[in-house]
Amino acid sequence: MRKGAIGKHLPLVVLGLVLGIVAFPFYWMLLSSLIPRTVLFQPPYRFFRLDLSLENYRDLFFATEFVTYLKNSVITAAGAILLNVVAATLAGYGLTRFSFFGKKQFAQGTLFSYMFPPMLLAIPLYILFSALGMRNTYLGLILAHVAISLPLNIWIMWQYFQIVPISLEEAAWICGASKLRALREVCLPSARPGILSISIFSFALSWNDFTFAFILQTDKKMFTLPIGLATFVEQTAIHWGMIMSSAVLVSLPTFGLVFFLQKYLLSGLRVGGK
Amino acid sequence: MKEYAQNKLWIVGTTVPALLFLTLMAYLPITYAVALSFFKKSAFSPTMSWTGLKNYFLLLREADLWAALGRSTFFTVGSVAVQIVWGLGVALLLNRTFRGQTFVRSLFILPYLLPTIVVALVFQWLLNQEYGVLNQILLQIGLFRQPINFIGGLKTAMYSVIGVASWQYGSFVALMVLARLQAIPAKLYEAARVCGAGSVRCFWDVTLPNLRTTLLLLALLRGIWMFNKFDIIYLVTRGGPLKATETLPIYAYRLAFEEFDFGLAAGVCTFMFLVLLIGSVIYFKLFDPTKEIEVGR
Repeated sequence: MRKGAIGKHLPLVVLGLVLGIVAFPFYWMLLSSLIPRTVLFQPPYRFFRLDLSLENYRDLFFATEFVTYLKNSVITAAGAILLNVVAATLAGYGLTRFSFFGKKQFAQGTLFSYMFPPMLLAIPLYILFSALGMRNTYLGLILAHVAISLPLNIWIMWQYFQIVPISLEEAAWICGASKLRALREVCLPSARPGILSISIFSFALSWNDFTFAFILQTDKKMFTLPIGLATFVEQTAIHWGMIMSSAVLVSLPTFGLVFFLQKYLLSGLRVGGK
Repeated sequence: MKEYAQNKLWIVGTTVPALLFLTLMAYLPITYAVALSFFKKSAFSPTMSWTGLKNYFLLLREADLWAALGRSTFFTVGSVAVQIVWGLGVALLLNRTFRGQTFVRSLFILPYLLPTIVVALVFQWLLNQEYGVLNQILLQIGLFRQPINFIGGLKTAMYSVIGVASWQYGSFVALMVLARLQAIPAKLYEAARVCGAGSVRCFWDVTLPNLRTTLLLLALLRGIWMFNKFDIIYLVTRGGPLKATETLPIYAYRLAFEEFDFGLAAGVCTFMFLVLLIGSVIYFKLFDPTKEIEVGR
């Protein structure tokens, strides 16, 4: 029966090990962010300690441009969510009420579009926005973020609107409701989870994006968080504690999404990744 | 008739804004970029001049391009292999009921959704040569006498990047495989057990055939995404040391924004796209990931 006991506990041991690999970086990030600069660089390292302080966070807020980057990131993400929701909801609705091509073609088209390197879009957008004076503007970056997330968002909304039977809408029309009213009062409520899904998806994409922001926003005042944080490691005396505190703050929305809004997140994830 | 016309207007009104937007912001720019690869275009001058295939002839003679292609292939194959093995293992581990499973599953999704900059910064810190905790552990155990320069070392940089990328994107594989695992009907396992199959036999004869399509599609998708990956590699190593981690996207970035030759950079991107297109066609011919295996009928 000894073999049975090992067989029973081995998966748990392996799970513990795997868990360690996944969780330790998070733990170390959080712990390092709370250790004052003067003690951080003194090996040997202790894995548990209580001499913690918020000094690094103070440095982050008062000695760097973190707040500016945060503001830029929030504005960009908000714009991207708004545009995505309006365009994807309308298009998703239109597609279900009139099918000029099938789902299969759309899915194949999406797979095909994955093959385009992001750089193949970033370079022409850089040239275009330079010509239009739209580099280093919120609008430019928002448009770029919508361009990369809209196809998937349309796909998600399309899926959601297919659940809503057209007969419901027809019933509303017969009762004298206008098309717009039918859309607003019959269709949209049923598609609300879809709208939440695409909002989350658009937010995550915009908040996480490094490539497009890095190429389009060259003025320090317009940096989003990922670009701003990347400059922290390029300074001569690298303040690792402060860098970890910035990493903690930037990942907070991700934690929130994963632990509280997972249901909506997953439906978006199933159709599109990166 | 009036109804029909109104319908048409309604459909045009809802779909055209998105279509117009995507045309202006994605399709036309990409077409423009592909066209750009046939022109000589510097970042500094607004003019461009037709050079035909000259950019491509230049590129194909360029040792940097082939070296970058080699690194891209190594990075893609290496990191996809690690991600698939890791993701499959994690999914199998999580596909059981245990206390706190919701929390643990959430934890495993986290890496994939973290901003890439966070992953890069945390691992730069963990793997730091002087102060990194991993080197501290290795030294204390006595495994090594000298700290290892994981990220800055010519020989180790590529493996470090593969490791970091796999840590982040392996969780995507785990998530997808787990979803598929939960869709396998329990009666298949019951039938196998009745016929006397053990856990190993069940895995090979029930689990793997059911996962075949998912794993093949995941390998293809992840392969495409890793081949095009710019951010994680650039953020961890900046393409260095020397050019040890300069894959094709980073090479294209360097040509465009450090050497200011947009024509050549567009050529590299188009080249990447063609490599992926041909690679995917061959992959479909070899494996046909959409071919469903008939199970348990």
